[in-house]
Amino acid sequence: MWRRNRRRSKHGMSAYPKSHNPFADDDEEDSKPQRGFNFDDDPEESSLSPAERRQRQLQQEVMRTAQSAVDSSYRSLGLIYESEKVGAETAEELIRQGEALKRTEKMIDNMEQDMRTSQRHISTIKSVWGGMVNYFKGKPEPPKPAEKEQPVSYEANSRLQNALTESKQQEDKYQASHPNLRKLDTSGFGASASLDNGPSDQNGYPKNKHLRAAHQQLDSNLDDMSLGLGRLKNLGLGLQSEIDDQDVSLDALLNKVDTMDGKISSTNRQLKNLK
Amino acid sequence: MDNSGKEKEAIALMAEAEKKVKSTQSFFGSLFGGSSKMEDACDLYGRAANMFKMAKNWSAAGNAFSQAALLHLQMQSKHDAATNFIDAGNAFKKSDPQEAINCLNRAIEIYTDMGRFTIAAKHHVTIAEVYETELVDIDKAIAHYEQAADYYKGEESTSSANKCLLKVATYAAQLEQYPKAIEIYEQVATHAMDSSLLKYSAKDYFFKAALCHFCVDMLNAKLAVQKYEEMFPAFSDSRECKLVKKLLDAFEEQNMDAYTDAVKEYDTISRLDQWLTTMLLRIKKSIQDDESDLR
Repeated sequence: MWRRNRRRSKHGMSAYPKSHNPFADDDEEDSKPQRGFNFDDDPEESSLSPAERRQRQLQQEVMRTAQSAVDSSYRSLGLIYESEKVGAETAEELIRQGEALKRTEKMIDNMEQDMRTSQRHISTIKSVWGGMVNYFKGKPEPPKPAEKEQPVSYEANSRLQNALTESKQQEDKYQASHPNLRKLDTSGFGASASLDNGPSDQNGYPKNKHLRAAHQQLDSNLDDMSLGLGRLKNLGLGLQSEIDDQDVSLDALLNKVDTMDGKISSTNRQLKNLK
Repeated sequence: MDNSGKEKEAIALMAEAEKKVKSTQSFFGSLFGGSSKMEDACDLYGRAANMFKMAKNWSAAGNAFSQAALLHLQMQSKHDAATNFIDAGNAFKKSDPQEAINCLNRAIEIYTDMGRFTIAAKHHVTIAEVYETELVDIDKAIAHYEQAADYYKGEESTSSANKCLLKVATYAAQLEQYPKAIEIYEQVATHAMDSSLLKYSAKDYFFKAALCHFCVDMLNAKLAVQKYEEMFPAFSDSRECKLVKKLLDAFEEQNMDAYTDAVKEYDTISRLDQWLTTMLLRIKKSIQDDESDLR
């Protein structure tokens, strides 16, 4: 359901027809005078009917935009989790690929070993002199296996640690500029700006509770979103380091395979000449 | 137009190849370089098979490849035989799945004989996929996936092995073989926990393991969730863990509505896939049964 609205910005306060309002248990749609987050200063002035109506309209508008912000934050959260899932699957696939690359490298090393042995045999067959040279050269040594596994995970880990501490610092900064402070101000503000209509004053409370609940939900969603984004960033960094390592091993592999190719064709030629 | 021409050519090549094979079996043939004739025949079979492939006559192509493979076996070149069996299997996949599986099995035998377990494992996975999709025989698919995972583990490719094991676990859980599924999920999750990249999927595996525990018995699930939280602290922050805890509470109170609400809430953010829905429905049914038992 969020695919349709993917292009909406995360902070979507866009005017957007209300689809469903989970907070609308009863008919709070009738605008009640409420505190806070008004976009102009009408509540302080006289309570003439047209002005009041305008005020109610604006309050409804505020409720709607708050609601749409909450919905949008739900969608964003969903997108973040989806990205995380895709990233995790990519990571698994990458690691599998890395293993396959290492296996290939080992096999190429084995092949090289075999080629050297067969080269010795060929030179023995070709001539007696070649055989004597081989006898003196001795057996070729197997190449040492490359110990690449440990550095890979280690590098990712240290990078990961850095990223973790960094994201924790960012979280502190976020807490400082938390809109909670603003919300408290307006609620205090609203309490003083009592309105003349008695019944509307009573009915003002539930409305504010809804708005407050909406804002709280929005805040908790934003918290989750920031955590999720932090995780995504670390995942991305980890993926990047893994890809870099695989890049390096791919290049090495390419070289080895090329030399192998040359050796095989030269061996084939020698064998044909032997006949 | 081109294709039917190719097919005729292919049939002609097959006939030629068969003649060559027959001629090697005669007295003179075996005297005068029988093996090179066999090689030529193999070659002809290969070319014929490729032409059948161009003409999209998959069964004929498969047949041609199998013939080539048998000849290679006679000539003791196992590697070539195995490759030809694989080609035959791929060609048969499009027309006759059963025959494809036969060819692939023969190829696997040859590879395991030669000690090439990685390739054998890869082809077990192919066979399992055929069982999954075309022949829909889940038990055999599971068996092949397990075999593939064993071979991969033997060759130290843990992540390939894990991939196969996860498929086994998914199907096992669907078939209600919960202990097996639980064991696999826990094993894979513990392995994933330690890797810097894989740990993002670890919470998913713990979640699935917890659900399987849940299908068996609620108390198991509770203990399991506690255990997982101890092992892997990041699990407790995840939404999956919160969902499981809410489901456990709803189950204890036998409260269907709380259960459905928790599931719906999770669904609004991350869609539930087919497997999850099946498992959650089973658990929900067990709540319903309990409720009706009490009445």
